[in-house]
Amino acid sequence: MFYLELLLVGLVWGCTYAMMALGLTLVYGLLRILHVAQATVFTLGAYVGLLVANHTGSLAGAFVAAALAAGLLGPLVYRFIYRPILDKPPFVALVASIGLLIAMEDGFRLLFGPYGLSFAKNTWFTTAVGFGGLSLNLVQVWIAVAAVVLLSLFALFATRTRAGVAWRATVSDPSIAESFGVGVSGVRHTSFFIASVLAGVAGVLVGLLNNLVEPGMGSVISYKGLAIIVLGGLGNVPGTLLASLLLGVVESFGTVYLGKLLDRDAIAFLFLILVLMIRPQGLLGKAR
Amino acid sequence: MDYYLSVATFAGLNVILALSLNLISGFCGQVSLGHAAFYGLGAYAAALCSVAGLPMGVSVAVGMLVAGGFGIVTGFAALRVREDFLAIVTMGVGFLFLGAVRKQAWLGAEMGIAKIPSPLDKWGYAALAIGGAVAVLLLSLHVRRSWMGRAFGAVAQDEDAARSIGVDVSGYKIAAFFIGTAAAGLAGGIYAHMTQLVVPDAFNFVQSVTILAMVVVGGIGSTLGVVAGAVLLTLMPEMFRFINDYKLLVYGGLLLLVMRFSPEGLAGLVHRVTGRRLA
Amino acid sequence: MLEGVGLGIAFGGVRAVNGVNLRVERGELAGLIGPNGAGKTTLLRLLTGVLAPEAGSVRFEGKDVTRVPIHRRAQLGFVLTHQIVRPFREMTLLENVMVAAASEVTRRPWRALASVEVWPARQRALALLERLGIADAADKPAHSVPLGYLKRMQVARALALEPRLLMLDEPLAGLNYTEAARFADLIVQLNAEGTTIVLVEHNLGEVTRIAGRLLVLHNGAILAEGEPREVMARKDVRDAYLGVQAAHA
Repeated sequence: MFYLELLLVGLVWGCTYAMMALGLTLVYGLLRILHVAQATVFTLGAYVGLLVANHTGSLAGAFVAAALAAGLLGPLVYRFIYRPILDKPPFVALVASIGLLIAMEDGFRLLFGPYGLSFAKNTWFTTAVGFGGLSLNLVQVWIAVAAVVLLSLFALFATRTRAGVAWRATVSDPSIAESFGVGVSGVRHTSFFIASVLAGVAGVLVGLLNNLVEPGMGSVISYKGLAIIVLGGLGNVPGTLLASLLLGVVESFGTVYLGKLLDRDAIAFLFLILVLMIRPQGLLGKAR
Repeated sequence: MDYYLSVATFAGLNVILALSLNLISGFCGQVSLGHAAFYGLGAYAAALCSVAGLPMGVSVAVGMLVAGGFGIVTGFAALRVREDFLAIVTMGVGFLFLGAVRKQAWLGAEMGIAKIPSPLDKWGYAALAIGGAVAVLLLSLHVRRSWMGRAFGAVAQDEDAARSIGVDVSGYKIAAFFIGTAAAGLAGGIYAHMTQLVVPDAFNFVQSVTILAMVVVGGIGSTLGVVAGAVLLTLMPEMFRFINDYKLLVYGGLLLLVMRFSPEGLAGLVHRVTGRRLA
Repeated sequence: MLEGVGLGIAFGGVRAVNGVNLRVERGELAGLIGPNGAGKTTLLRLLTGVLAPEAGSVRFEGKDVTRVPIHRRAQLGFVLTHQIVRPFREMTLLENVMVAAASEVTRRPWRALASVEVWPARQRALALLERLGIADAADKPAHSVPLGYLKRMQVARALALEPRLLMLDEPLAGLNYTEAARFADLIVQLNAEGTTIVLVEHNLGEVTRIAGRLLVLHNGAILAEGEPREVMARKDVRDAYLGVQAAHA
């Protein structure tokens, strides 16, 4: 029973990672950029969600507002930061992205204070749900539901719609896509929008899960998101999802069995390093 | 006076750290996002030795060797993964170091190691840090002029082509990691004795990024540019006290702006204005 | 000089190279040809050590080098040039060749660190650039010169290692008719001066003109070998080429 509970908690974490990592992998597949600043989008979503929820009392409104704010910020980051430096060596965009993340984290601290804010009313957090002897709170259930719904929508988008097919074409070869009349620029903006909406929603959910929204909440999850997309095989969507769930579970068991030696983040990165030393191309990546 | 001495000491330490990272990332082309871990390894190893009663010189040397030893291990990792993968792996090395130190009782866990013997006065540490910085500066200039520098350039620009002309790419990567991380260990050893206290948080990801910021603001690959970047980023928060409250905002913003508008940093700016390339 | 014995490798169940035996004799200029998809590039990668063979072995001057890494082979005198030019982009043409000319020194990192003496390598590199007729661009950065220059620079860089066996992977690709002919003459000249050369080429006209012996690869195996004109006259060789062209049409 204990193991099942660990597994379940791990999978729920894996779901939040997946919502973060899917966006990172989209961006990486398209532009070869490690989009660390996704954490900023995530944190912005969480703050906007919290402010709306606390002022209006509506969680639905909070999610919509968070998705919109995040969905706006992401494409702006692409347009004004990444796009002008796409032809530079890869570390340039990475460092710019880290810079943005650090600056914005400090910005959130200056705006909202260093200690974080809590939801005025967080009924999901206090509602326990029984699952044949296992107990989760409602936030955890909603995280799982949201992840499954949003990721399924994405799968439908990628395989069934014109824009999704265009996206996949652009990922595999921008010049081919262009010759089919697919607007590369539109695809890029769309990808940043999708990635950011997912991150914004994930931000609100994690805020609810911890009942705390703080300036630094995005950074660790974003670093782990990067670990996950590397683990899954960069730019590989199924690999990313697999790696997300796997990492959630590894952390959940690891903190129990290795907790005396390493903290949670260290366990995650130890796992990443071990896997990469054995499979340098990631779990589902193709050998280069 | 004490204040200026401590600023000078930190400027010296930062020059050592930035130049040592530049050796790995700028010269040899191996991106590292976890350089603070080696700074920390040097600090912790030196602290343990000194607390155990060894003289400071020996402790600092041990710190360098421990950092360099782990650097070699990381260098081996760099043989398996490249570029973006390597960036994430080195970032992981940083988190692994922090997460491991935080949980070890014999390393003081979160509280760190305190009451480290401190045999020198403020003047002594300033002299030591600046002396160390000058030594690493001379080493960097020498490496650049030597055949090692050219071979590093070959590895950084095209590994496969380097192999096909007989360059031992693996050997050079490991050498770069060893030299760079051992130098970071030197900075750590000096730091530990000067502050008499080491805690995990002094060596976190933000510290790694700060070192990287000095390198890229100065101009990755340019020794003199990197020295200027390190000194500038050390002095800036001191000169404008108000910046201290917004230190990360300024650091982050600076990184972002430099990458966005002048990715070659100060060295690139000098090149554009004067037409001369900095060493 | 170079010997491949029973070389084989498969990718996802497809046998790209299947039990190839070949010998290259000291001093010869051998051409390795074959229609698209015949496995030329794969065979070359097996011979040069980019890929490890699943079966068979590679011997160089009587020594088994199957598991010897690329840079060690280069140091032994077994040197290849890449099909797609691979200059060190930020270096000048001269510096590109200098790094190779200093191979004795750069072999071990610690020795390289101890040495700052530049001029012997510089003299040799300059001489090679002149030899290949590109000394006028010696101080231009590699990213700023045309392809023809880079192709020559790549040969100069390989020669700087004083190779005993030089493998050229499609050195004529991308060059126009006169450039290709001039380049082919240069290859003949190098061979006449004592370098054993294996030429992997698409340009059948030039390769039959200059090679002393041809090896034809088809479906991952050696289909024919011998005197160029005789080999090209063989029906199975023609069919192999025509078959591929027919399939493409």
